Amino acid sequence: MANNGIGSSKQDNSSLITQTNLECKNLYEYLKNQPQNVLDRLYIHPAICLAVYRELPELARQYVIRILFVEQPVPQAVVASWGSQASSKEHNYVTKVLTDLNVWIEDSLPGGLIGWMLSPTFKKNLKAALLGGGKPWSMSSALDADKNARDVGFLDSYSSERWECVLHYMVGSQQQEGISADAVRILLHAGLMKRDEEDGSPVITRQGFQFLLLDRHAQVWHFLLQYLDTVQQRGLDLVECLTFLFQLSFSTLGKDYSTEGLSPGLLIFLQHLREFGLVYQRKRKAGRFYPTRLALNITNSQNKNAPILEEDSPKGYIVVETNYRVYAYTDSNLQVALIALFTELMYRFPNLVVGVITRDSIRQALRGGITADQIIGYLKQHAHERMLTADTKQPLPPTVVDQIKLWELERNRLTYNEGVLYSQFLSQADFNVLKEYAQSNGVLIWCNKEKRTLVINKNAHDDVKKFWKKYSKGS
Amino acid sequence: MGPPKRSGYKADRASRKRKKEEEETWAADEEEATADGEEAAVPNAAARDAEKSDEKVQEDEFGAKDYRLQMELKPDNASRPLWVAPNGHIFLESFSPVYKHAHDFLIAISEPVCRPEHIHEYKLTAYSLYAAVSVGLQTNDIVEYLKRLSKTTVPEGIIEFIRLCTLSYGKVKLVLKHNKYFVESPFPEILQKLLKDPVIQECRLRRNVEGDAEDEMITQVQEKKNIPSFGAKPGPSTEAGAEATNVPDDITNFYEKMDNEDEEDEANLQTVSFEVNQEKIEVIQKRCIELEHPLLAEYDFRNDTVNPDINIDLRPSAVLRPYQEKSLRKMFGNGRARSGVIVLPCGAGKSLVGVTACCTVRKRALLLCNSGVSVEQWKQQFKMWSTADDSMICRFTSEAKDKPMGCSVLVTTYSMITHTQKRSWEAEQTMKWLQEQEWGIMVLDEVHTIPAKMFRRVLTIVQSHCKLGLTATLLREDDKIADLNFLIGPKLYEANWLELQKKGFIARVQCAEVWCPMTPEFYREYLVCKTSKRLLLYVMNPQKFQATQYLIRYHERRGDKTIVFSDNVFALKHYAIKMNKPYIYGPTTQSERIQILQNFKFNPKVNTIFVSKVADTSFDLPEANVLIQISSHGGSRRQEAQRLGRILRAKKGAIAEEYNAFFYTLVSQDTMEMNYSRKRQRFLVNQGYSYKVITKLAGMDKEPDMMYKTREEQGQLLQQVLAASDIDCEDERMPGEGGPRGGPGNRRSGHLGSMSGADDAVYYEFRKTANTNKHPLFKKFRY
Repeated sequence: MANNGIGSSKQDNSSLITQTNLECKNLYEYLKNQPQNVLDRLYIHPAICLAVYRELPELARQYVIRILFVEQPVPQAVVASWGSQASSKEHNYVTKVLTDLNVWIEDSLPGGLIGWMLSPTFKKNLKAALLGGGKPWSMSSALDADKNARDVGFLDSYSSERWECVLHYMVGSQQQEGISADAVRILLHAGLMKRDEEDGSPVITRQGFQFLLLDRHAQVWHFLLQYLDTVQQRGLDLVECLTFLFQLSFSTLGKDYSTEGLSPGLLIFLQHLREFGLVYQRKRKAGRFYPTRLALNITNSQNKNAPILEEDSPKGYIVVETNYRVYAYTDSNLQVALIALFTELMYRFPNLVVGVITRDSIRQALRGGITADQIIGYLKQHAHERMLTADTKQPLPPTVVDQIKLWELERNRLTYNEGVLYSQFLSQADFNVLKEYAQSNGVLIWCNKEKRTLVINKNAHDDVKKFWKKYSKGS
Repeated sequence: MGPPKRSGYKADRASRKRKKEEEETWAADEEEATADGEEAAVPNAAARDAEKSDEKVQEDEFGAKDYRLQMELKPDNASRPLWVAPNGHIFLESFSPVYKHAHDFLIAISEPVCRPEHIHEYKLTAYSLYAAVSVGLQTNDIVEYLKRLSKTTVPEGIIEFIRLCTLSYGKVKLVLKHNKYFVESPFPEILQKLLKDPVIQECRLRRNVEGDAEDEMITQVQEKKNIPSFGAKPGPSTEAGAEATNVPDDITNFYEKMDNEDEEDEANLQTVSFEVNQEKIEVIQKRCIELEHPLLAEYDFRNDTVNPDINIDLRPSAVLRPYQEKSLRKMFGNGRARSGVIVLPCGAGKSLVGVTACCTVRKRALLLCNSGVSVEQWKQQFKMWSTADDSMICRFTSEAKDKPMGCSVLVTTYSMITHTQKRSWEAEQTMKWLQEQEWGIMVLDEVHTIPAKMFRRVLTIVQSHCKLGLTATLLREDDKIADLNFLIGPKLYEANWLELQKKGFIARVQCAEVWCPMTPEFYREYLVCKTSKRLLLYVMNPQKFQATQYLIRYHERRGDKTIVFSDNVFALKHYAIKMNKPYIYGPTTQSERIQILQNFKFNPKVNTIFVSKVADTSFDLPEANVLIQISSHGGSRRQEAQRLGRILRAKKGAIAEEYNAFFYTLVSQDTMEMNYSRKRQRFLVNQGYSYKVITKLAGMDKEPDMMYKTREEQGQLLQQVLAASDIDCEDERMPGEGGPRGGPGNRRSGHLGSMSGADDAVYYEFRKTANTNKHPLFKKFRY
């Protein structure tokens, strides 16, 4: 009699397959997870309404504008009829976005039809933002001329210096002055760094590596989102902070604003922004501040080539050769540290770093959690202008790109199948019966005749089990 | 097809034994063991290595050598093109406005390491500086110009290194004038110093026995000489006006000065000299090297009245390309002929350089190459480019024995000259005559293939005034290439492959590495079987077979001419017979080879041939534009470059296309082949070539009648492979390659590693740990 022939051991390898990658939310994804009352409070401020409106998909903006001045719900069927049948998919997506953001709400029409109506707060304040009127935005610029006025160039260098401080800290280069415990806490909270198991000092994580390879704009946005997550623990008001942030993003570069009228919470927030280089303040109590380029258009994360940040990012400085040599025209420690993530550096001259991309160096980067695409993306983004003028018109030698991808694929040669192990058959005959059954159904993954074990596709487990029960009863 | 019977193969060999011994495809290389006491003497300076000078340099936090403290950035660094590292590596921006100046200069003083598109790397070595001095550069000029070109200050250590390496070099020359040897130098004090040495005193030949002052030397004033011009010039060069705008003045001024120097510095130069006993040339050469004053050999062919001029000139139709002219300029720079090596890519017209050199010297010329086929090709080249006719050019091979006595240009093979066994009476006479002659110039084709031992034998047999080595790849896996510096002379010129390709002098080649997955059955065997069979398993991989078949068909449809290379004879025969294509390997007779090659050239039905490594060098196949490599000699970079050379000859009428030649290497995935392939590619990658990896050939699935598609066929193939004998597993062995010839016992001696070049890796290890008693020549200079 066959005994407990089925010793099922489920191998959970989902963790092996999916590695957590850095999740980069945009404004929509961030707001949709906020509770409704928070959203409602946010929409009190015209600045936020405008920012949200600008971030909506094109079709959604169309809808909003069309019903902005309609004072009663518009039947859903009517809204759907505005677009052609072909774009119904888009329509569905857009309705979901608008609902998620609480921009419009469902309301029933007198005739029993269900219609859409803009949420009243949103409607009122968007109107204010678009048409003017309402209270002045709390950030006033009614100030005397600053005797220590700063120009745009100064602000740019200040902001990038501050920001690079944070990045430097992350790559662990020795140059790590001026990062507060608060910032470290945010980095830890964001999962960009974690406490080392041995000595408790923060070390960079795979998400952290990925973060480093993002462009500056995306970095700031991601970092701020993580910061906002922790706002409440600090006793700050999320809505207040968000509002301030959005107002900041609509401010003018090179202009100074007064701190007057800011709540104590906001003043703390301002000091944090100052640390990351989003605003400049000469002194803590200066009574005025300058927003920097980093703070402008902060929400605009979808638009990859935001031209406004272009000047901020350094000119392309990396030359990649077909023989896998990497030459970087830089003396910045941060840039060198970033390149060192995936290349083997050989020499450093005063304005040049020489390195080589090797299988080992790439594999090390991959192990550290950086993906091939991120490496290639980084190299492309910072390609030296020489590389762009080459006859091939490709910023990187295609062979190098291919090779980096192949090195990544090399690590993923195994394919995973979830399965159920059957073992301890009493006789070879039993084993054969089950094996043949599985084989004929195409659910056999692996078998070993000598040890009488076989692995069956997980989905077919129930079916095979049934078969086995029937078979063992019959014999 | 079953495995070939071993006994039959042996009989086959025996019947051809005699012929092969006399000549043919002699290609010994890596396995050559240097006999004791055979090592070339090297001056101490040459043993210096700049590489060590930065050992104490601090590494920064990323493991890079940090030179920032040692050098200062110049304010106008953007308009200067190079960085000089304290370890002798030099990086040059190819997009700099002064690139041309810097490039010419660096080629003269250093070895190119890699020259891809944007930034080139060079390396200063003792040998390269020796070469620089021998073509007439002065220590101070080198230092000064390097300083001016550099973006930063030049490290002190490097200046010191240049001083050390150049001061003693090139100051003393061995000149053959009126058929007497003189040691000549513009520096009397150095000659005085040399003459104090007892060994050199003995070598000195004193004409006036009456015994005047001991140290009297011949003083003479040299008149200005004209530089010979080579053939028809391709019109005035169009450089004028193209000069870029923001070149710092000091660079341009200096460049002009250097450019003219070659011509000017010989004018009215006072030199002193003493005569040397002809029998003691070897001795004095060796002694001078020990004294750190190596003798440069120069031949004043204009004033040689003893040897008759031969009546040979370039045809008016022979037009030299700029780089060919430049290389010859280096050779004949001061109106005399210098000995040295010229490095040009395959297919870039090395033979024209050789022919022109012979026509310039206009003395009896001896040409050495390494196979019968290339003897024929050289003869053709002479007839094409020069006024020489059949009566002047003679071949001296075992097959074609034109009566060489008294001819002007003799073309023969290395093995024919160095052959030690009994020769026919006729050959014996020729050899005698050959030895008695004083040759004006000796041209050594594919000079990288000859090991030092063989070469020395040639030198003792043949007396020649000047030696010109020609090669495409000055490269050996065993680093013995440095021997050539002292056996022939310094490297005079090395062309940039990528530049020649851009200018259309050589074909644009698309290199590709095709990955063929092993079938499960083959891979299982591969993992379990003993090492020697492995090679056969990955070469005979059915997927590889199909890929080959597909590529051949694809290119035949395009109208291309394809050569398929396989080092493994078993695979070669199997592939060729299965696909019904002609093949050439070691035992193929000369006449059959020529017949196949002719058919390949002219017969539109023969578009694909299979060849073993006999075709690696000097098989001139201008028609071929596709090359498929299915098995190769392990990690040999040189073989890869030589094979690429088979399709490099510029193709006519196909300039419009991005690529006009294709070079495929098929490798079986997850086998040793992958590693070898990576290694092999290093040289070409450093020349700026890039390999595209193809993991899947598009359209291969749809191709009808592919062979070995079914499991059964694959199984049969596997059985054949497993049944193959050990000999089949090895690469083809060339006669003359390693150890005494013949004897099956000898054939088995190497293990797969050594067949396939893996010895190389071991060699590196060895040098790292125990190189203390290694001769300085074999320390690494180039890598």
